[in-house]
Amino acid sequence: MAPPAQSSRYPSPSQPSGKGEVSDLRLQLRQLAGSRAPGVDDSKRELFKKVISYMTIGIDVSSLFGEMVMCSVTPDIVLKKMCYLYVGNYAKVNPDLALLTINFLQRDCKDQDPMIRGLALRSLSSLRVANLVEYLVGPLGSGLKDNNAYVRTVAVMGAVKLYHISASTCIDADFPATLKHLMLNDSDSQVVVNCLFALQEIWNSESSKSEEATREKEGLISKPFIYYLLNRLREFNEWGQCLVLELVAKYVPSDTNENFDIMNLLEDRLQHANGAVVLATIKVFLQLTLSMADVHQEVYERIKAPLLTLVSSGSPEQSYAVLSHLHLLVMRAPYIFASDYKHFYCQYNEPSYVKKLKLEMLTAVANESNTYEIVTELCEYAANVDVPIARESIRAVGKIALQQYDVNAIVDRLLQFLEMEKDYVTAEALVLVKDLLRKYPQWSHDCIAVVGNISSKNVQEPKAKAALIWMLGEYAQDMDDAPYILESLVENWEEDAPEVRLHLLTAIMKCFFRRPPETQKALGIALAAGVADFHQDVHDRALFYYRLLQYDVSSAERVVNPPKQAVSVFADTQSNEIKDRIFDEFNSLSVVYQKPSYMFTDKDHRGPFEFSDEIGNLTVGVESEHEVPATSVDANETSDLLLSTTEKEETRAMVANGSDYTAPLYDSSSRALPSQGQSELAITSLLGTSDPGPQASMAIDDLLMGLDLTAPPAPASAPPSLKLNARAALDAGSFQRKWRELPVAISQECELSSQGAAALTSAQALLQHMQGNSIQCIASGGQSPNFKFFFFAQKAEEPSVFLVECKINTSTAKAQLNIKAEDQSTSHEFSALFQSALSRFGMS
Amino acid sequence: MPVAASAIYFLNLRGDVLINRLYRDDVGGNMVDAFRMHIMQTKELGTCPVRQIGGCSFFYMRISNVYIVIVVSSNANVACAFKFVVEAVALFKSYFGGAFDEDAIRNNFVLIYELLDEIMDFGYPQNLSPEILKLYITQEGVRSPFSSKVPNATLQVTGAVGWRREGLAYKKNEVFLDIVESVNLLMSSKGSVLRCDVTGKILMKCFLSGMPDLKLGLNDKIGLEKESQLKNRPTKRYHGKTIELDDVTFHQCVNLTRFNSEKTVSFVPPDGEFELMKYRITEGVNLPFRVLPTIKELGRTRMEVNVKVKSVFGAKMFALGVVIKIPVPKQTAKTSFQVTSGRAKYNASIDCLVWKIRKFPGQTEPTLSAEIELISTIAEKKSWTRPPIQMEFQVPMFTASGLRVRFLKVWEKSGYNTVEWVRYITKAGSYEVRC
Repeated sequence: MAPPAQSSRYPSPSQPSGKGEVSDLRLQLRQLAGSRAPGVDDSKRELFKKVISYMTIGIDVSSLFGEMVMCSVTPDIVLKKMCYLYVGNYAKVNPDLALLTINFLQRDCKDQDPMIRGLALRSLSSLRVANLVEYLVGPLGSGLKDNNAYVRTVAVMGAVKLYHISASTCIDADFPATLKHLMLNDSDSQVVVNCLFALQEIWNSESSKSEEATREKEGLISKPFIYYLLNRLREFNEWGQCLVLELVAKYVPSDTNENFDIMNLLEDRLQHANGAVVLATIKVFLQLTLSMADVHQEVYERIKAPLLTLVSSGSPEQSYAVLSHLHLLVMRAPYIFASDYKHFYCQYNEPSYVKKLKLEMLTAVANESNTYEIVTELCEYAANVDVPIARESIRAVGKIALQQYDVNAIVDRLLQFLEMEKDYVTAEALVLVKDLLRKYPQWSHDCIAVVGNISSKNVQEPKAKAALIWMLGEYAQDMDDAPYILESLVENWEEDAPEVRLHLLTAIMKCFFRRPPETQKALGIALAAGVADFHQDVHDRALFYYRLLQYDVSSAERVVNPPKQAVSVFADTQSNEIKDRIFDEFNSLSVVYQKPSYMFTDKDHRGPFEFSDEIGNLTVGVESEHEVPATSVDANETSDLLLSTTEKEETRAMVANGSDYTAPLYDSSSRALPSQGQSELAITSLLGTSDPGPQASMAIDDLLMGLDLTAPPAPASAPPSLKLNARAALDAGSFQRKWRELPVAISQECELSSQGAAALTSAQALLQHMQGNSIQCIASGGQSPNFKFFFFAQKAEEPSVFLVECKINTSTAKAQLNIKAEDQSTSHEFSALFQSALSRFGMS
Repeated sequence: MPVAASAIYFLNLRGDVLINRLYRDDVGGNMVDAFRMHIMQTKELGTCPVRQIGGCSFFYMRISNVYIVIVVSSNANVACAFKFVVEAVALFKSYFGGAFDEDAIRNNFVLIYELLDEIMDFGYPQNLSPEILKLYITQEGVRSPFSSKVPNATLQVTGAVGWRREGLAYKKNEVFLDIVESVNLLMSSKGSVLRCDVTGKILMKCFLSGMPDLKLGLNDKIGLEKESQLKNRPTKRYHGKTIELDDVTFHQCVNLTRFNSEKTVSFVPPDGEFELMKYRITEGVNLPFRVLPTIKELGRTRMEVNVKVKSVFGAKMFALGVVIKIPVPKQTAKTSFQVTSGRAKYNASIDCLVWKIRKFPGQTEPTLSAEIELISTIAEKKSWTRPPIQMEFQVPMFTASGLRVRFLKVWEKSGYNTVEWVRYITKAGSYEVRC
């Protein structure tokens, strides 16, 4: 056995469970319990230390409970503290034993030493055992009235703890009223602050139940109370000030004079050494001036210096927290920060999370006067050793190019990137050149000359390859060897990502319209490969092109390659509403995550990895937030759908390409999804107007000589008779209601393909796939390997819906399904459909 | 809700829990596992100090060989949380005296548990001031101060003048002022300054009896103007350089209202060591060093590096601990160099020539010239991305900003005499020259 002294100094989890040591400790504790020999406290301390160090590293020492309690009868305060710590740790799991401690804790609560009273009260309220609350009410009540402030601060927190163990006990004992009285009258600032913490928590959760609590909650931001706090602000310590300022930010002054009074009062807080206080003050200023445009701008000017100081001082983590806020402000008002661009230059050794924010800010503040310097600086980063940052900086250059009028110099730089001969630099630059051409077609000559020199073999990344292919198709007439490059690309059909294959099909079509004799062969091969492709979207697009060509070549050209206008504005990724929400939540996590809080906390208290059966507890429809608006836009535009489907869909893809590089959900299946529905629509209406079969023109027959289409074109699984509505919609509320109402129709287990299980790294991936099969997700959650989803689908002809709860374990590749259906008769059909869709996941 | 931390963990680099404190029940006990699995054991570590896993957010910070992790379940205030960790570490350090690392934690874990209980209750930050906490949390475990000789401790523990206790007495009343500046520079390869600023702080050590009132005068422009306005004696102007502070922040003891109206820094100092103020300057920075590099790539396998470093501060002053790191390509095979001062060597682990000069007098310009032979590689096409040259140094009695202390006045009702000591030092922050 290891010598105990050694093991307490360097305990590690790999050591044995400590059974021997624990019984050893018990013996020693027993010996000491009754002893009154001099120096006994010192040996007790050593023992207690050992017990606590075992506790810390996870050895169960709860069996010593009795002995520990016996030893705790001591005037030694350090011993008492260790004992309290021990008790607090094990009381929750051993409620019976906890009862043993009540006695001595209650006695200590009446000790003449306020320190001991406070400590005992804190321990007593930290036991967290529901059936012991009756013993807590009395000491808490007297604690709140204690003449010592330390005891009162502890008692106030104790009251909240009690509220969390048993809300009704806390309310019945009328603690909120006592706290309120203390908050308004206590001379000690920490007591006031703690009361405020406590009452905010209590009234926030009570307000859903009682009107009185709602009134009280609103009272916290009433004029008299806010003024009371502001007048005492300087007494509070920094944390208290943060809390008060947070509250002041919610206060709406009655007139502008009041506004200015508050701001004048708080201005000196901007000089506070604590960054959190400064940020909280800034929030107050921003909120107070929201309706006064000119003052609001002055506020920006005023807060610039303190923010920049905070960014440049403190640990990287702290400056990151501040920088995120600066980032938000820069994004809202780039012009105000335009002259400060040098502050956003990256240092070589800065962590990449800081660099990334800085790059975004540099991009945002670029204007006519500073573009040259900024782009020069960004080009330095393109050679950075940190590849993701190098990529970011190239994208930043591209973004600046897209937002500027004078792009001459920038285009040159981008073209230089293309010649740098680093894979990732070339890849990023290609994507950018493509976007640039879509906005400034006049640059095509310069760009095409350089792009033409790039060997497609050196371009591996799907996005970059797709961009290159797009340019080959778009500028086929300007690049002599475009058809031949495309042809060589078709030869490696199998190796490319679906995204690239889709682009390849379209590019070859475009090329074919301009230079038919040279492209004919490649088109034949591509269509054949496309029709045989097992990726649904590629297959559908190939078939669609094929039928289109069969119908009429010139209509096909109008569909696939209509004359297009330069894109003037690229869509923004985040809606203004979301941005405003984040702004309202200034000085919180929302700003760091760059999403409003409802997206990452649904309830204040939520277990980490457990799924509650209530859907409300899951991350509700992040997916639907984003996707639903997109599809509904399409629905509005069905009138001109026929002629521009492909282009429009491509535009959207580009938008995603161009403006949201970081979005991890970028996936070909998601953006191709609407086109699938649409292209089917297009085909049927085309077919509906005339019967294409026998009248196929000679040209097409010629063209498709090499193409064996005698076999039925769709080798995929037999089409299910059940048709689903591709644009089903259901809000979370009605989903929940239906889920409660309907019985489970089918509950079964099915298997995922091994590729599917491997591909399911995040919930997002599956959502997009299922959406491609007209099955929408309403909520999802979980971490690999356990995921949980709630899906719904709607029949194509009638409003009857299917609801699915799907739990997937990727390590066993099993999925547990619970299906509920409004129309029970079709539930089996739906189940088959769902399972086939699920089994296809990851196969592309 | 500013911060309601649910739990705080101290982990070593392997991920073993050194200390943990669960403040609230709203997170599970398996939070460390989540942190280990999703952050520590992945490439994520170090990519972002704020991460969301499941429904909880993790803020983490590495301090020497310890990770401190705060777990929250709500939309918490990030700046507040990090500041809390920093302050807590400062507090622990003031208790252990010096280093904060794994060993220090293991040796003092009972004390840390005690402190964690006092500085945060139910996830809300409480009092973190070392001066006050030391009154009643002691390693010796003496009985609390309430019952003993310091009668007014109750008020101080939670009270209004949170940073100083009454009844202090020193035989010799002394104040030490340290002006510490770190100068950040980013210079382009063509020698133009891309970005340059100075962040400075004034550190103070006070050993003063009673409740003294201090007033500090600096040579900053606004303060001087205000002063001559107030005194209405424009004739008696301060002669010498005046500087413009971009931004200042103060320790909580400084009377901010008075600073705003009169532009004077007046305060009742805490006892012992503290950071009085921080400032930032971007205009008129005196760079202590100029670096003039020339790097020639001679063919595929040879390089010539010449670096001249010029000290541009007074000839009587000198810099200490100057280190110049000159990056070289990874495939460096052999180096040979000559230096006119100091010593240089090739450090393969950081791909740099490291040139050290222990004592570097002002107005001199030592040079390093090196020849570097490279291994020729197949992946020849990739040109070498030249990282910047980095410099470390300390220049005592020099401020890059030009800031000077004009006076420090101490008033105390007993009217004792004080001795004031002022030191200046300028250090390199991130001093980078591209080449």
